[in-house]
Amino acid sequence: MAGLLVLGANQVALGDMLFILISFIVLALLVKHFAWGPVTKMMDARSEKITGDLDYADQERSRAEKLAKEREDALKNSRAEAVEIVNKAKESGETQEKSIVSAAHSEAEELRQRAKSDAAKAREDAMAGAQNDIANLSLEIASKVISKELNADDQKSLIDSYIKELTVNETK
Amino acid sequence: MDDKYKFVEFLGLRFNVANDLSVLVSAVLVFILVFALSRKVTMRPGKAQNVLEWMIDFTNGIVKSAIPDGSGKQFNLYAFVLFLFIFVSNQLGLFFQLKVGGFTYVKSPTSNPLITMGLATVSLLISHYYAVKKFGFGGYLANYARPVKFLLPINLLEEFTNFLTLSLRLYGNIFAGEVLLALIGTVAKSLGAVTFVAAMPLAMVWQGFSVFIGAIQAYVFTTLSMVYISRKMEQE
Repeated sequence: MAGLLVLGANQVALGDMLFILISFIVLALLVKHFAWGPVTKMMDARSEKITGDLDYADQERSRAEKLAKEREDALKNSRAEAVEIVNKAKESGETQEKSIVSAAHSEAEELRQRAKSDAAKAREDAMAGAQNDIANLSLEIASKVISKELNADDQKSLIDSYIKELTVNETK
Repeated sequence: MDDKYKFVEFLGLRFNVANDLSVLVSAVLVFILVFALSRKVTMRPGKAQNVLEWMIDFTNGIVKSAIPDGSGKQFNLYAFVLFLFIFVSNQLGLFFQLKVGGFTYVKSPTSNPLITMGLATVSLLISHYYAVKKFGFGGYLANYARPVKFLLPINLLEEFTNFLTLSLRLYGNIFAGEVLLALIGTVAKSLGAVTFVAAMPLAMVWQGFSVFIGAIQAYVFTTLSMVYISRKMEQE
């Protein structure tokens, strides 16, 4: 062993240095190809994936928050809308009710008026008919009683005046 | 110590069979470990993947503490392999030593200065390479005269001391551990059953401590490599 430390030209196994140089380089290449490459690649991929996943989670959370807010707003809106619809329905019901009632009122009024006017007319007609009949009847009676042909017109006016007096008395 | 090694001549270079075999065993162990832990790489890590990712995070932390800005990322793989290789090498001699016919064949490769010098050479070459890449060759040379000109000889000297301290610190720690372990072994064999029983707890304690030292030295070597690289890449 001591001989190896003496840097005598023939005794030193300088080939060993060459040997370790070559074997170390070959070992490094083999390790790189079979283990280092795939594993570091996977480690990089994993760190990339973790960063990506974190970013994605952040994105998703903000999106979910936005969605929840939107839904809440929509819910609030729909509640207001529902109240409005109910109010509108109530209003329209009220106006309809009013219009129906007023229409019924006016119709009833019309009916009443018509009935009133009909009754008045019938009474007038009856009165006129009765007047004529009474006039003719009394004229016939008179003519028969007096047996004298009286002037029908004079007679008639006479009777009319009578009757007028009669009706005036009657209404009194 | 009294270990004997087989040497092989090849292309005019001398190879120590024990060193090379040990380096090979360590490298294969590191590769098997990492390969086994990285079989099912998924987005949701299993147990094995978690262990591997923990180790990667650990060495990435070493790099990041030495080179805080983003440019340290290119050294992550180097720090990872360096740490694992030195750690496994340091532990190898503690539980696995192969001696056949008086010749050692497998031990801790880091208990030999040439191996640690080789590793230090890799680290320092990387630091010089990236310094030249960043400042250009002129800028790289000018950096030796910073912050003031008269520090030029000290800066030049520092390059050699860096190399020697980096390599010899690791070698010294691991070699001393093996020496002491061998001494305890000779004590155990010296006087039969009595010393054998007495040496047993000593050996256990020292082995436990050596595991600790091996881990610490792997960490120190990796950290200092990264510190040297970062110092080369910034202008004082």
